[in-house]
Amino acid sequence: MTTLRTGSAAGRTLTVLRKELLDMFRDRRTGMVTLLSAICAGPIFLLLIFNLIASQAERARDLKLPIVGAIYAPAVVAFLERQQVTVSDAPADYDAQIRRGDLDVVLIIDDQFAADVAQGKAGSVQLVFDRSRDRARASIEQTESLLRRYNRLWGEQRLMLRGVASTVANPLRIETSDLATPQQSGALVLFLVAYYGLFASVMGGMAVALDTTAGERERQSLEPLLMTPARPTEIVTGKWLAVSAFNALVVLLTLAGFYLTLKFAPLPPVGVPFLFGAREFGRFALVLVPMILMLPAILLYVGSRARAYKEAQANVSVLLFVVSLIPMIQLFMQRKEPGWLMFVPVSAQYSLLNTSLRGEAPALTQLALSWLAPATLIALALFAVARRLSRESILIGK
Amino acid sequence: MIDVDGLQKAFGKKREVEAVRGVTFAAPDGEITGLLGPNGAGKTTLLRMIATLVLPDAGHARVGGLDVVADRYAVRGRIGVLSDARGLYPRLTARENVRYFGRLYGLAGAALEARIDALFATLGMAPLADRRTAGFSQGERMKVAIARALVHDPDTILLDEPTNGLDIMSVRTLRDELRALRTQGKCLLFSSHVMQEVAALCDRIVVLARGRVVAAGTAAELVERAGTDGLEDAFVRLIGSDEGLAA
Repeated sequence: MTTLRTGSAAGRTLTVLRKELLDMFRDRRTGMVTLLSAICAGPIFLLLIFNLIASQAERARDLKLPIVGAIYAPAVVAFLERQQVTVSDAPADYDAQIRRGDLDVVLIIDDQFAADVAQGKAGSVQLVFDRSRDRARASIEQTESLLRRYNRLWGEQRLMLRGVASTVANPLRIETSDLATPQQSGALVLFLVAYYGLFASVMGGMAVALDTTAGERERQSLEPLLMTPARPTEIVTGKWLAVSAFNALVVLLTLAGFYLTLKFAPLPPVGVPFLFGAREFGRFALVLVPMILMLPAILLYVGSRARAYKEAQANVSVLLFVVSLIPMIQLFMQRKEPGWLMFVPVSAQYSLLNTSLRGEAPALTQLALSWLAPATLIALALFAVARRLSRESILIGK
Repeated sequence: MIDVDGLQKAFGKKREVEAVRGVTFAAPDGEITGLLGPNGAGKTTLLRMIATLVLPDAGHARVGGLDVVADRYAVRGRIGVLSDARGLYPRLTARENVRYFGRLYGLAGAALEARIDALFATLGMAPLADRRTAGFSQGERMKVAIARALVHDPDTILLDEPTNGLDIMSVRTLRDELRALRTQGKCLLFSSHVMQEVAALCDRIVVLARGRVVAAGTAAELVERAGTDGLEDAFVRLIGSDEGLAA
């Protein structure tokens, strides 16, 4: 009595996609956590970094320098004061205060300073600091460079008195020209923004991808689904498109968080006018497309290998570790990037994100190359999941 | 009409677990055929082979004349299966759960909605149709699973231990529904290890033990063949032990 009904492959794929999207957005808890962390993380993050940079810049600008024995070398002290350094007498327990981080750096002038200079010997001064303290670094460097400048000035004056040109003592004249455009500075900020953008594309689809594979198996709704005329390839494609759509949403929200924060939030002025405008937003999104599509495919594969959600989570942490490590390695390598990097997923994207943040457009050939490996991996992962779904073993051990 | 001819299936790396060892039987339209056997007799594997989910090592099975291996997707469109995996999507409503499957079977629009309404009305589920299934009782879940298995109006229906974990009211609803389907001329194949269940419902009984058919016929024929007073004794004698048997 029943006629044979066959929907089209595209129709069934679309049905799976629609159902998975509905299911995802009904999952309030996972959805809220994922979306909220995507929206909030960027702004909170930027605020912290900017405050850090601002406070460092502040310290360098108004350098406070406690001195022990200022009376032994009034000329040195006068020079420092001319350079806008706030000079004061050092407290007795200055070394304890440095250890605690209350003081950045203290200058000690030897009580034999004047006598040594009079005898033609070098007068000795001592700098006390704790270099392991990041916040103090700017003050330390500035004090060192001021003292070196004073040293050179003093020496040149002595030579001039003897009728010797200063070039005799300083045969090398060093001129620097920094080719960094304003937005090329602030490497830490660049790293973190690129890293976080990349991370969003990895994390965005995780919960939903595992829920739709390992979760579906755990809830025992997979077997009924496999008994419908929907082919495994159609089921997998539908699920992949749904997870990718969710992932894309998370990435866009994360980028929007960066964009809006930098545009409207009252961030302290740090002299790092690094750009994240509409143009960078677009370039980021473009560079991240392969990630947005690749990670869901890989996560679906990992999820399909597990019998339960918890098991899948444990497996996925290995994947996350590898993915989060790659940009770190690149940061610490600090070498010119080799050409083959564009074939390495994650690495290529990280490099292209950095290019975008430096205000340059990623080259089209590089963009195309960065697609090769992800496209291959997507095809392989989806094929593997479909194969798993058509195997009998998926039904056993539920 | 289900035609099973010499089906075999073994599992394990060396195929050492022989679940089904050459099973032959037929289940005609307009009747409920019971597959009775103790736990581990091979009932689930047999049903999964007929449902095209597990490939047989040897032998053939045909559903409505279609081969379960060669025409597996066509067979899937014609059968409705209520397996022991009755998981629903807890975040979807009962209607959305059934609608999803209806669409995968190629149904759509007003015809699909009307079909869902009719199924829920028959099963007494109309008031719960638009509630999420997360808080449903076992019986309510089973009814949604039945609606899901029947949404495409299949002419062959496979049920694997359908009464497991159900209260008496739900069991009665299920029996009524199965009898109604029989009246419509459907072919029903019903597996159970509960003898009373099979005796109460089935027109024909196929007794399965250790992967083989040990007897087949009506309840009366089985009692006569075993030469015992009641069906329970007949069953014990036919399978050769009372191991894995529930009263």
